[in-house]
Amino acid sequence: MDSESIETFYSAESALSSSSRRSNFSIRSKASGRNSIREVNFGDLGSKAVRYGSRGADSETYSLNMSQKEINDEDARLVHINDPVQTNERFEFSGNSIRTGKYSILTFLPRNLFEQFHRVAYIYFLVIAVLNQLPQLAVFGRGVSILPLAFVLLVTAVKDAYEDYRRHRSDRIENNRLASVLVNDQFQQKKWKNIEVGEIIKIYANETIPCDMVLFSTSDPTGVAYVQTINLDGESNLKTRYAKQETLVKIPEKDKLDGLIKCEKPNRNIYGFQANMEVDGKRLSLGPSNIILRGCELKNTAWAVGVAVYAGRETKVMLNSSGAPSKRSRLETHMNLEIIFLSLFLIALCTVVSVCAAVWLRRHRDELDYLPFYRRKNFSDDGEENYNYSGWGLEICFTFLMSVIVFQVMIPISLYISMELVRVGQAYFMVRDTQMYDESSNSRFQCRALNINEDLGQIKYVFSDKTGTLTENKMEFQCASIWGVDYSGGKAISLDQKDGYFVKVDGKVLRPKMKVKTDPELLQLARNGKETEEGSHVHDFFLALAACNTIVPLIIDSHDPNVKLIDYQGESPDEQALVYAAASYGFMLIERTSGHIMIDIQGERRRFNVLGLHEFDSDRKRMSVILGFPDKSVKVFVKGADTSMFSVVDRYMNKNVIRTTEAHLYSYSSLGLRTLVVGMRDLSTSEFEEWHSAFEVASTALMGRASLLRKVASNIENNLCILGASGIEDKLQQGVPEAIESLRTAGIKVWVLTGDKQETAISIGYSSKLLTSKMTQIIINSRSKESCRKSLEDAVIMSKKLTTISDTTNDTGGTSRAGLTPAALIIDGTSLVYILDSELEESLFQLACDCSVVLCCRVAPLQKAGIVALVKKRTADMTLAIGDGANDVSMIQMADVGVGISGQEGRQAVMASDFAMGQFRFLVPLLLVHGHWNYQRMGYMVLYNFYRNAVFVLVLFWYVLFTCFSLTTAITEWSSVLYSIIYTSLPTIVIGILDKDLSRRSLLKYPQLYGAGQRQECYNKKLFWITMIDTLWQSAVAFFIPLLAYWSSTIDASSIGDLWTLAVVILVNLHLAMDVMRWNWLTHAAIWGSIIATFICVIIIDSLPFLVGYWAIFEIAKTGLFWLCLLAIIVAALIPRFVVKVLYQLYVPSDVQIVRETEKFQTQTESGAVEIELSSILDTPRR
Amino acid sequence: MSSNTPSSSAGGVGSADSAAPRRNSKRPKYSKFTQQELPACKPILTPRWVISAFMLVSIVFIPIGVVSLFASRDVVEIIDRYETECVPENLRNNKVSFIQSDANKTCTRKLRVKKLMKQPIYVYYQLDNFYQNHRRYVKSRSDSQLKDNSSWNDVSSCKPEDMSNGQAIVPCGLIAWSLFNDTYNFSLNNQQLEVNKRGISWKSDRDSKFGNDVFPRNFQNGTLIGGKTLDPTVPLSKQEDLIVWMRTAALPTFRKLYGKIERDLQANETIHVTLENNYNTYSFNGKKKLVLSTTSWLGGKNDFLGIAYLTVGGLCFFLALSFTVVYLLKPRRLGDPSYLSWNRNPGGH
Repeated sequence: MDSESIETFYSAESALSSSSRRSNFSIRSKASGRNSIREVNFGDLGSKAVRYGSRGADSETYSLNMSQKEINDEDARLVHINDPVQTNERFEFSGNSIRTGKYSILTFLPRNLFEQFHRVAYIYFLVIAVLNQLPQLAVFGRGVSILPLAFVLLVTAVKDAYEDYRRHRSDRIENNRLASVLVNDQFQQKKWKNIEVGEIIKIYANETIPCDMVLFSTSDPTGVAYVQTINLDGESNLKTRYAKQETLVKIPEKDKLDGLIKCEKPNRNIYGFQANMEVDGKRLSLGPSNIILRGCELKNTAWAVGVAVYAGRETKVMLNSSGAPSKRSRLETHMNLEIIFLSLFLIALCTVVSVCAAVWLRRHRDELDYLPFYRRKNFSDDGEENYNYSGWGLEICFTFLMSVIVFQVMIPISLYISMELVRVGQAYFMVRDTQMYDESSNSRFQCRALNINEDLGQIKYVFSDKTGTLTENKMEFQCASIWGVDYSGGKAISLDQKDGYFVKVDGKVLRPKMKVKTDPELLQLARNGKETEEGSHVHDFFLALAACNTIVPLIIDSHDPNVKLIDYQGESPDEQALVYAAASYGFMLIERTSGHIMIDIQGERRRFNVLGLHEFDSDRKRMSVILGFPDKSVKVFVKGADTSMFSVVDRYMNKNVIRTTEAHLYSYSSLGLRTLVVGMRDLSTSEFEEWHSAFEVASTALMGRASLLRKVASNIENNLCILGASGIEDKLQQGVPEAIESLRTAGIKVWVLTGDKQETAISIGYSSKLLTSKMTQIIINSRSKESCRKSLEDAVIMSKKLTTISDTTNDTGGTSRAGLTPAALIIDGTSLVYILDSELEESLFQLACDCSVVLCCRVAPLQKAGIVALVKKRTADMTLAIGDGANDVSMIQMADVGVGISGQEGRQAVMASDFAMGQFRFLVPLLLVHGHWNYQRMGYMVLYNFYRNAVFVLVLFWYVLFTCFSLTTAITEWSSVLYSIIYTSLPTIVIGILDKDLSRRSLLKYPQLYGAGQRQECYNKKLFWITMIDTLWQSAVAFFIPLLAYWSSTIDASSIGDLWTLAVVILVNLHLAMDVMRWNWLTHAAIWGSIIATFICVIIIDSLPFLVGYWAIFEIAKTGLFWLCLLAIIVAALIPRFVVKVLYQLYVPSDVQIVRETEKFQTQTESGAVEIELSSILDTPRR
Repeated sequence: MSSNTPSSSAGGVGSADSAAPRRNSKRPKYSKFTQQELPACKPILTPRWVISAFMLVSIVFIPIGVVSLFASRDVVEIIDRYETECVPENLRNNKVSFIQSDANKTCTRKLRVKKLMKQPIYVYYQLDNFYQNHRRYVKSRSDSQLKDNSSWNDVSSCKPEDMSNGQAIVPCGLIAWSLFNDTYNFSLNNQQLEVNKRGISWKSDRDSKFGNDVFPRNFQNGTLIGGKTLDPTVPLSKQEDLIVWMRTAALPTFRKLYGKIERDLQANETIHVTLENNYNTYSFNGKKKLVLSTTSWLGGKNDFLGIAYLTVGGLCFFLALSFTVVYLLKPRRLGDPSYLSWNRNPGGH
């Protein structure tokens, strides 16, 4: 029995226990301080399990203290039932209308601008645009200088406005929905937005709940209501909510309802609620199971009546609607460094210009007055005065600022926008990838974070959860050990039981929805009834399985009108599997209310009173139910993890049974099965009475209810007689072994962090090919810090020995493992408690790096995050965490890239993740294919954008050297503005989205190619500097060929400016074309289209008579010299790059290059084989 | 929740293609575009490709270079630098004061035609060290005023030559003010050589930039005379010297067209030039040259482009050769998987 299985098993059975499981969540949000939760609710007792390090003990007392605190009056909200006027007297509670839109028409402009200017780049350009408005510095015309910034702001503003408009529209629809509200003792339709706190609302089946309400009464006589919380947390199963007995009997229309609810202030913890209610002078305490939340739907309940306690933006769902987490990509971080280089370069250029200008002014200081092209003195009217000259020092200063304005595009503003567009495009393709679509859950890949696409190409460590991530978390009952006898024969559904077990009700057949393979011998025993001793044990065992749970049976229609299906809804898949199994053996749970359950035992319908239910909590790791039998006897059935169960079993009874059961448990868990132990005890009347009174006291307690309940449970759950154990298979997901193999070939280290126990974890490790028989296992199970230190030291020595052997044969790190003994580190959570956050971390890290596999079992959620942090802190390598449950949230948020599996276990992992997908195996196409592409594309794009803008700036700079350093530009100001908007922006975006260096097939065939990203082959300092040197050469060629060709000729500035414009644009576009690896029609259109667009733009600019360059392009294009210059520039500029590229490709080929060639020349011969190899990872299922 | 999800054991039946289109299926629609499988050309730089590319460049560039060089050599050019010689020797110590004085600035020069010059022969003046591209200079003009008579008052951008005696100047600005005012008279064998000064500017400028109803006004009336004065009765669109001058040069050494001589000049003929050396380039050590030049399809005499083409062509030829040699000596089989890094150093041996 293991902690994780138990955790999922009982997960969130009712909100009471679920909050313990989710407590890490609530604590986290508390810590983040956004909406502080004043009261940590009862469930937080479980927080001990989620702490790591040595602070476990503190947190226990801490949470106890918290839970025992009364709600202070100042912290409480008072709701007068059915008296909204008095409730809202002080206008402190918000109405129920919601506004998710950020802006109104009035506030749009200022707020949107304010938000946009949070980016440093925008501020830079704003400062430059403002500088340009000063008359002394006006380099560009007013309009021109603002254009690029205005363009960017406008595009973003339009996008924001559209999104906001859509939000407003959906708000309007939402606010105008109708609900029945009690007005003047009658239920009337009222718009949602007019609902006020304190009003009584009636909800009918399948309606959405308009605000958070405390349940009063429901159509069910016992006061149960079922709600679906899919809008809230994505879990599609039904949750039960209870109305209080005291309010149940009241009919809102007739009985005057009044009372006071005192509840906590609005907070975002959807699993916690604490309040008390005064009705008819009685004080009742309310918990999370008494409240239904906005956004949920009422199911299987004809109606429910409740009182609104939180409305509008104070509802839990609204408080929880926050955006995706924001992370910054590694590439972008590196890029910022290069941006600093570029800034320094920019400052250097400006300094050169201003120093030269200073020297020139100094040398000509005597001539300046009369110099025809300077004319410092103004002689025109009233005497001599300096014209537009503010002294030597200021002139230099102005020159410097002006040169910043002229060379501003050195810092590529367009890069930031291009990167965003490219990421959106890449995300589009990732989402649309049919190979990452999960058929079984009907879910596509999701990109939740848009700014770390390229990080997917550089992952070095993958931290994976086990349950639900490597395995399907679709539990299947496999075998049982009952009273010491192992029944594990059910390997196939034989013919005669094809339809499985069914019962007839009113002439209709009632059958469980899912069939379970049964063991014929056991089936026979179960049918024989309890005449024999064996039969009676089997009877008790299955009765326990059918009764001891919180599953809700739902009867649904099937295609055949005579057949009804019974669907078991519950929050834990293990429980579902057990109830389905019990049904197959003839113990079919048919009805459950809060007071009784109906079980059909071998065709005979029996009613049991549920006298008490102790729900699961992560400390006890078990649950129990107290059943009142029809013959008035009372029994307690307990089910739980082996460790926790054996401690409460009566050891002196049936020693043999206990021993054999333990042996069976061991063999089950080594098969990779999840095990549960079932026990029972007869209760005498006195025992029952004693328990009953204690239970009553505990469950109505206002303070420390959870701990009191726990105490009551522990008192009754002892001296049990063991009935047996069950083995549930947690199936591996499709393609997991192949995926893990691929990832490891790709040089990615896969670490598995699981809450399961060691044997289960190791067996799953073997079946998923994570562990192989060749590996040496290093196991660390220590119970104290000292023994931890010792075992770590031993392990390090051992791994050193192993790696020194491997070092002689292998110098490339972990990529080639053939022929040596790799080590696998297996460590458990208890040891990690002593290691994490202590000085032993370092040696653990060393050890873990030497091992090719790391398996951590029995780790708590925060320990998972601790392990990720351990790696993240010590290396520059990228980490990825993948998981599906709430217990993976902290790990997902800690890792550089967080991936959520949208599977069975709810959606918290998905909500916290950057990417979400349906299956673990999609990690392979995600990383190896899309990650590789995205990284390569983005890396190239960033370099190209640096180059593109620098070439242009340098051409401007060279010209400045020939204009007395006066910052004239031959290229028209319009062209220099349009350069990065129209002339050259589109191709780089298209290439950044569409170019592929290798096909999907090759990338999957050679996972080693992923190393290109890990080694940062596409973007690094060396490439940056090579690119910059190339830039220098290209700009020099583009500038000096026309300069020399037109020296001492009649050329005018506009004409040669047009030549430079066209030369640079064609040059940078051809440079890009040279590096394009896949030419499809879009690439062609973008590149050639841009060149044509540039010609058109230049022609248009030169057709405007009010500009200086009127008609220049036509005059210069008439001459042959122009075209010859263009040709010479392009060829001469690109030759060095081409030569270097060719030399590199031919004589120092990268792996990517070789595989590209293979792709081109050997496609036909090998494609067949690859198909087979990949099929399991890709589409076709393996089994 | 009530969907008929097949149990996992039955999942193997439906493969991707045969799966019946389920309602509400979110399966992305397959298209070559969304799967990034658009038909595409994947060029690879094979040695053959590379060598042929270099050969092609050299085959194209070398002939162009040769032709350009020949074209440049065919151009006959007479250049006469006169800014020093045209100052009387005794005044050469202080040329600036000479040029600012009222002294007679007429000067005669003799030019010998070395080779036959076919008509039309272009007459240029060439200025050195004159920064017509200086920021202060190029901004000092008013295009609206030049174009349109009604906006003659629009002189705001023309400082410091915007107003004179309280009146707006047409054409205003430093550029117009500094209009070049040396004049040349050519005679051959004591016979006047006609210099055609019409059509020396761009037609587009005459038609659209300089208005035919805009007349010079208040021009060169200030204390400081910058250059040539304009006939106030001739509209700007006919003032071709001004139009040429106003197309500011890109580089500090530039030529401006003065006129065309529309007859052939024989070799060894001597042309007498009578020039008025009025323009003040002495204040900034500018050179003044008179240039007579024929023209080719490539423009004036400039060997640079031909040499550049020959160099690039030659370099490419050399590269093609060396790549061939290297390729023959040390070939690499393209796409050979044994070169892959993880195949090159196998783990255990």
